[in-house]
Amino acid sequence: MDRPLDRKNIRNFCIIAHIDHGKSTLADRLIELTGAMRSGDICNQVLDSMELERERGITIKAKAIRLDYRGADGGAYQLNLIDTPGHVDFSYEVSRTLAACDGAVLVIDATQGIQAQTLANVYFAMEHNLEIIPVINKIDLPSSETGQVLDEIENVLGYDREDVLLLSAKTGQGVPDLLKEIVRRIPPPAGDPGRPLRALIFDSHYDSYKGVVAYLRLIDGHIVRGDRLRLMRQEIEMEALEVGYFAPDQCPVAELIAGDVGYIATGLKNVRECRVGDTVTWAHKGAGEPLAGYQPAKPMVFAGIYPTQADDYHQLREAIDKLSLNDASLSSEPESSPILGHGFRCGFLGLLHLDIVCERLEREFGLSLVVTVPGVSFAITTTGGEQKTIVNPSEFPAPGEIASIEEPWVKISVITPSKFIGPLMELVKEYEGSYRHTEYLGQSTTGGEMGQRVRLEYEMPLRSMLTTFYDQLKSRSRGYASLDHEFTGYREARLVKLDVLVNDVVVDAFSRIIPPEKAHEVGRAMVDKLKEVIPRQLFKVPIQAAVGSRVVARADIAAKRKDVLAKCYGGDITRKRKLLEKQKEGKKKMKSIGRVEVPKEAFMDVLKLG
Amino acid sequence: MHDIALYLHIPFCRRRCQYCSFVSFQGRETDVPAYVAALEEELRRRAGGQRVSSIYFGGGTPSLLSAGQIAGILTTVRTAFAVAGEAEITIEANPGTVDRAYLSALRAMGINRLSLGVQSLDDHELALLGRIHTATGAREAVRLARDAGFDNINLDLIYGLPGQTLSAWRNTLRRAIEMGPEHLSLYALTLEEDTPMWRTVREQQLPAVDPDRSADQYQAAEDMLAEQGYRHYEISNWARPGRECRHNLGYWLCRPYLGVGVAAHSFLDGRRLANTGSLDAYLAAYSGGHEPALEMDEHIGPDLEIAERIILGLRLCEGISLEDMPGIDFGQRYRRQIAEMEGAGLLEYGDGRIRLTRRGRLLSNEVFWRFLPEPAGAH
Ligand SMILES: Nc1nc2c(ncn2[C@@H]2O[C@H](COP(=O)(O)OP(=O)(O)O)[C@@H](O)[C@H]2O)c(=O)[nH]1
Ligand code: SF4
Repeated sequence: MDRPLDRKNIRNFCIIAHIDHGKSTLADRLIELTGAMRSGDICNQVLDSMELERERGITIKAKAIRLDYRGADGGAYQLNLIDTPGHVDFSYEVSRTLAACDGAVLVIDATQGIQAQTLANVYFAMEHNLEIIPVINKIDLPSSETGQVLDEIENVLGYDREDVLLLSAKTGQGVPDLLKEIVRRIPPPAGDPGRPLRALIFDSHYDSYKGVVAYLRLIDGHIVRGDRLRLMRQEIEMEALEVGYFAPDQCPVAELIAGDVGYIATGLKNVRECRVGDTVTWAHKGAGEPLAGYQPAKPMVFAGIYPTQADDYHQLREAIDKLSLNDASLSSEPESSPILGHGFRCGFLGLLHLDIVCERLEREFGLSLVVTVPGVSFAITTTGGEQKTIVNPSEFPAPGEIASIEEPWVKISVITPSKFIGPLMELVKEYEGSYRHTEYLGQSTTGGEMGQRVRLEYEMPLRSMLTTFYDQLKSRSRGYASLDHEFTGYREARLVKLDVLVNDVVVDAFSRIIPPEKAHEVGRAMVDKLKEVIPRQLFKVPIQAAVGSRVVARADIAAKRKDVLAKCYGGDITRKRKLLEKQKEGKKKMKSIGRVEVPKEAFMDVLKLG
Repeated sequence: MHDIALYLHIPFCRRRCQYCSFVSFQGRETDVPAYVAALEEELRRRAGGQRVSSIYFGGGTPSLLSAGQIAGILTTVRTAFAVAGEAEITIEANPGTVDRAYLSALRAMGINRLSLGVQSLDDHELALLGRIHTATGAREAVRLARDAGFDNINLDLIYGLPGQTLSAWRNTLRRAIEMGPEHLSLYALTLEEDTPMWRTVREQQLPAVDPDRSADQYQAAEDMLAEQGYRHYEISNWARPGRECRHNLGYWLCRPYLGVGVAAHSFLDGRRLANTGSLDAYLAAYSGGHEPALEMDEHIGPDLEIAERIILGLRLCEGISLEDMPGIDFGQRYRRQIAEMEGAGLLEYGDGRIRLTRRGRLLSNEVFWRFLPEPAGAH
């Protein structure tokens, strides 16, 4: 590895697939076949440092692995397999990753056929002019329908069936052929080692010793350890403290040159300074123009995150700061709520991103959280002509102060057997969506009674996708439909804030933004649920849902009348006292809303209500 | 040496009732002689010359013991302790286990108060509860007891049965009043986990108990009994004036008592003690000539003592005096709790005493827990 390889023997590629179609399994098989794992012993030192990092609780997933492959012609090839984030929430990251590749292996499950994310991934890959190698995976399964999937690939994607590889990532069947085809079909990197450095950052992570480690694809030029470098968009200078590649552990080398995929340790303190999509060049005599297409990923989904125990606020702040070091698209602002106390309004790329962050906060930092209903960011013009961006429903202006509202819309693409078109049309209508387009994919791969497989395209407000839409989609299609979505822009909206009042006190955490015609239905559901979960108090508790001062639903929780202990036999006073102590402890665990004591679980039940 | 109250637990029943969560065993009647012997041994061991002002045979079903066995126990008590001449001596009896001769024998040996576990005067309800007697049997038991010379009779009744209407309850209570008892104890049915009836309700074979209806039933009873001249002297107890149960009053007034037998509790020298709840352990220990280990031995510190005095004292309808709390300015220390509960209409203040209101009697737990001290370590 000391002497730079001929650029002609390098291939930079990724694997793209709908979730569960076999991307990870195939990657493992490729690593195994090329023996990349064994090359770990050249990197003993690096392994040691990895162990240190593991002790500090940081696990670094290799985002790019160098595979050494000896071709059929006897030539030594360097295949760089670059990992793409697997979900639409991270579509901007996916797009940046694809920009670092020259080709892509498109994996389609032989039992499932083309799914919504298959298409989204293919379109992305096409936009980046990648050479795509379609493969049908899981052909070992008896339920595989290879013929029908080949039809779909021809019909929908327009590839010749002769160009589609059939394989089983599980058994390894067909995988050696795939390696041959990668070398044959994917072009070697273009670019010029003699020109000024231009390298694309396609991922990064924070390391407390080395600072931000940036993952690079070098387009032009070269990087030597110690080079002074510059981030062209952010105008930040730094030094290449270490230069290397992954195999899959970090292996330092002296130099990376155009066409290579590797990393540099930058010493920067925050991933926000070193954003995915930015271009790295030399600080002196650098390139004139950055690589195209930089835009920082913007949070689209917002939710309040609060510690269950007020004492944990500082711990939560530290935990969010730590996660932010590694996650440039996670935003957070302190906020406080009369009911929930001090917490943060956080911004996420999507619901999955939100789930991942909350799970990590709870699991890695041992926090217990209250997470409010996720919402979007509204652009509001007040009657006074002021422009406002609102990400917290409780700050939504009163109806009289709003001149206009805009909210984000998405285009959604659903792939389903035609049998479910009717129920799905209904569903989308209920969630305020509108129909755009239907496309037949070819013969059914799931048996005649399901009908043909179709792709349906709709548009809908992102807001209405954030509640129970996905679960409903799955249940109304018996699990067959797959979904993909893409942000399209802001549109004018007619919306109101629905408040919930418990004992005449507005519970900010329960406020939500909805179309006025849904106010009654949503208000009723929330009021009924609260009536069910709030225990009876010593006084009557009115629960109301209101838009401004107009009450749209109401229920009363009657005052509690009876709470007495039964017969005390034989002077067992202690048992009675223990029961009272339990009651007293129970009261302490409650959240109070005004004078009303609400158990935390009840509170969470209502927050979860779609 | 203080006067003490003496409780004797008889943990045998012919058949377990559907709602029972007391310490009592069915099918162990062959162990009765050994148990009586063990009980007498415990009495002898725990005696220290105390004066006994009341004796209470509770259960279980004390009336499963023969008159001779009861008499033997009483003799042991009288030998080991100084029993006051005017002592109140109560025995609980199941109406299905007594006859004329038996009751006469009890009365003759000095037992002067009879507490009958009637529970309901509706045969359908009695069957639902799994009681071994009928309504007629209960009336008959009262008649026989009167004949035997008992002039101080208590009837235990249960309200708030699954599906029991307000008028069904009024009927039971009216029939009970017609039987002319000196004392009535009314208990709301509480379904403890894992009792057969609790399971039946959980499996939805029986409707759940409606707490509002139980509240209505309780208040109906308060009205009916007041009209009939019964004094409501404790949350669950009513009596003709002067017929309050002295033994039970001792519990509410935090007076010392000694409990003997399986699972019996004692309150002696500022400690709350409990005997083992295992019949086998109890029998084995005494037959082997030693005492079984206590299941509980808890010192009641000054904070807890005050809390207990308040909580137990408030059960009494005369309430508690602000003055007679030892060593503290009661009104000052609990000003916040008293004000809150007065505001909620659960406590009232007058003549230097605080007491539960009519509404407060039904919500007494809400009042009581507020007077508990913070757990140790929280100070
Ligand atoms: N039978 C069979 N199962 C496979 C094959 N490839 C992947 N799988 C299974 O499909 C599931 C999803 O695979 P995975 O690689 O995790 O999918 P990813 O979500 O695309 O990364 C796993 O349970 C795999 O074991 C295959 O060729 N044959
Ligand atoms: S008689 Fe009393 S102690 Fe015996 S089983 Fe019935 S309820 Fe339980």
